[in-house]
Amino acid sequence: MIFLLSILTILNYNSNSIEINNAWVRPAGKGMNSALYFELKNSSANSDELFKVSSNAAELVQLHKTVNKNGLMEMKEIKSLKINGNQTIKFAPGGYHVMLIKLKKDLKTGNKIGFKFYFKKAGIIKADAVVKSY
Amino acid sequence: MKSKNIHTRISIIFFISILITFFYGCGKKLPEDIPIGVKDIVLLNQDSSRIIFPDSFKGKTLLLSFIYTNCPDICPMTTHNMQLIQQQVKKEGIDNVEFVEISFDPLRDTPSKLKEFGDIRDIDYNNFNFLTGNPVGIKSILNNMNILALPGDTTETKSGSKIYFFTHTDRITLIDKNGRIRNEYRGSKANIQAVVNDIKILGD
Repeated sequence: MIFLLSILTILNYNSNSIEINNAWVRPAGKGMNSALYFELKNSSANSDELFKVSSNAAELVQLHKTVNKNGLMEMKEIKSLKINGNQTIKFAPGGYHVMLIKLKKDLKTGNKIGFKFYFKKAGIIKADAVVKSY
Repeated sequence: MKSKNIHTRISIIFFISILITFFYGCGKKLPEDIPIGVKDIVLLNQDSSRIIFPDSFKGKTLLLSFIYTNCPDICPMTTHNMQLIQQQVKKEGIDNVEFVEISFDPLRDTPSKLKEFGDIRDIDYNNFNFLTGNPVGIKSILNNMNILALPGDTTETKSGSKIYFFTHTDRITLIDKNGRIRNEYRGSKANIQAVVNDIKILGD
């Protein structure tokens, strides 16, 4: 019975519950760094956890948060980010962002970049981000 | 008849509001008036041209910020705000304003790196310079202008490249024609029109 309930819970939790919306990336030259921003929406009642983002556009991709520490701006790597049920988290300039380190090519305004987002429950979700000036 | 009276009253109130706004703007004094405290620092711009800071900008209103081009989040926001202010200043026909961003990472930010950073953002170099130079000279500017830039966490890529980032001050500084600091703003969150209004108060 418990096994059956577990299966039903997993089946009920599909990746459509997690959405990556309005993803965009800053322009930057090859070899430089950039950042990915988006809205992370969880429309299920269950929490989940984003623990990795990957892309072919950069040598290294990390989850980061910028914090204002007594007037000084500091970036800290975060290992994962929990999203509660029915919650939306904004990855926005000056806050949470996905850092793209050592770009493999120029990111010019209008380009589209593919990303994979790894969640503990929802699995891998693919999304494209557009390069825009900001 | 009654409707005509209401229209006349609205027009008078509107006209008085504009007059109050205009005179308030003209009379507003900027809060800071501090000498920049820096003299004759030789720097290079994005085209490797020699710029004597701040002397090369004497007689002009100067909007100054400090960045490093490996910054993925805050510095591009500051640069974008500087660009928006430059565009608005041009749109409003205000002359004699220069825009300068000095790198606090001169070892990595060579003139060509600065050029690349500007080019990908379509910077109008007509009155916008990115500056780099000898670390000693840069340090002297940072110290005098109370700008902190501390190298922080180091990350290594798969190819073995070591990447480091800075914890740094986030500021745009407005300097008048006589080299005196007249106002400061948070670089990444600056209110574009407020900065433009301050530039207008300083005049041509």
